[in-house]
Amino acid sequence: MIEGIAVLKLRDVLLVTMPADPDDSTVSALQSRTLDAMEQHDVKGLILDLSKVEILDSYFARTVAETAKMVTLMGGETLIAGMRPSVAITATELNVTLGATRTVLTLDRALDLAGNISRKKSVQKTRSAL
Amino acid sequence: MSEPEQGTVPIVLEADIAVARRVVRDVAGKIGFGVTETTRIITAASELGRNVFKYAGQGVMHWRTLHKGTSSGVELSFEDHGPGIADLDAAMRDGFSTGGSLGMGLPGAKRLMDEMDIQTTPGEGTTVVVRKWRHR
Repeated sequence: MIEGIAVLKLRDVLLVTMPADPDDSTVSALQSRTLDAMEQHDVKGLILDLSKVEILDSYFARTVAETAKMVTLMGGETLIAGMRPSVAITATELNVTLGATRTVLTLDRALDLAGNISRKKSVQKTRSAL
Repeated sequence: MSEPEQGTVPIVLEADIAVARRVVRDVAGKIGFGVTETTRIITAASELGRNVFKYAGQGVMHWRTLHKGTSSGVELSFEDHGPGIADLDAAMRDGFSTGGSLGMGLPGAKRLMDEMDIQTTPGEGTTVVVRKWRHR
């Protein structure tokens, strides 16, 4: 039994949690699940929680980078949270990159940042309304 | 664990790449590799398993445990009867790909493992053998 992707709307952001060792079809579902949820819910961005992930190979990394790019095109921001040390070391040695995606150590920090982003955006909205 | 062990995982479906990763995880755990070393080995297996699936359509991964003096290790051998690699030097360079990927499969796997041997014949197939040693 392969564990799937969990998508949760949390205030202004989507929290997308990847399982420990997703197979290729689960990885490719990341894009569609995320973009569908972005469209469905009015959110400012996406927190991609990789804290369970034990393996980030080049295919997985490319899918994450592409998904973040698409989220940007839809007007959202992507934060990647919780990458394990062993995964960060291996990804670096493998020479994969996650594009221009912002990364944070923990889900806690991601939620703090997401709070700041949505506050800033609502301030901007208020200002432009004046 | 001193008795050598070995096994084979067929790579026929895309999902078999994940099966190969799980088998490699178990083997690495039995040998006693730490978390980071285990992650390196599984990631290399994932890259090489995907190469087999993507370029040859199907193949196998043979695995066996290694014992030499006080060291033990693991050997993974990816065999296919696909098109072979026409330009091996180019395939070993970062960023080279004929399959529309990032082209880090072979050079990336080599960096993650201790040893890599490649035998390839255009039109006949490819065998990539990688080894990782655990030094005590």
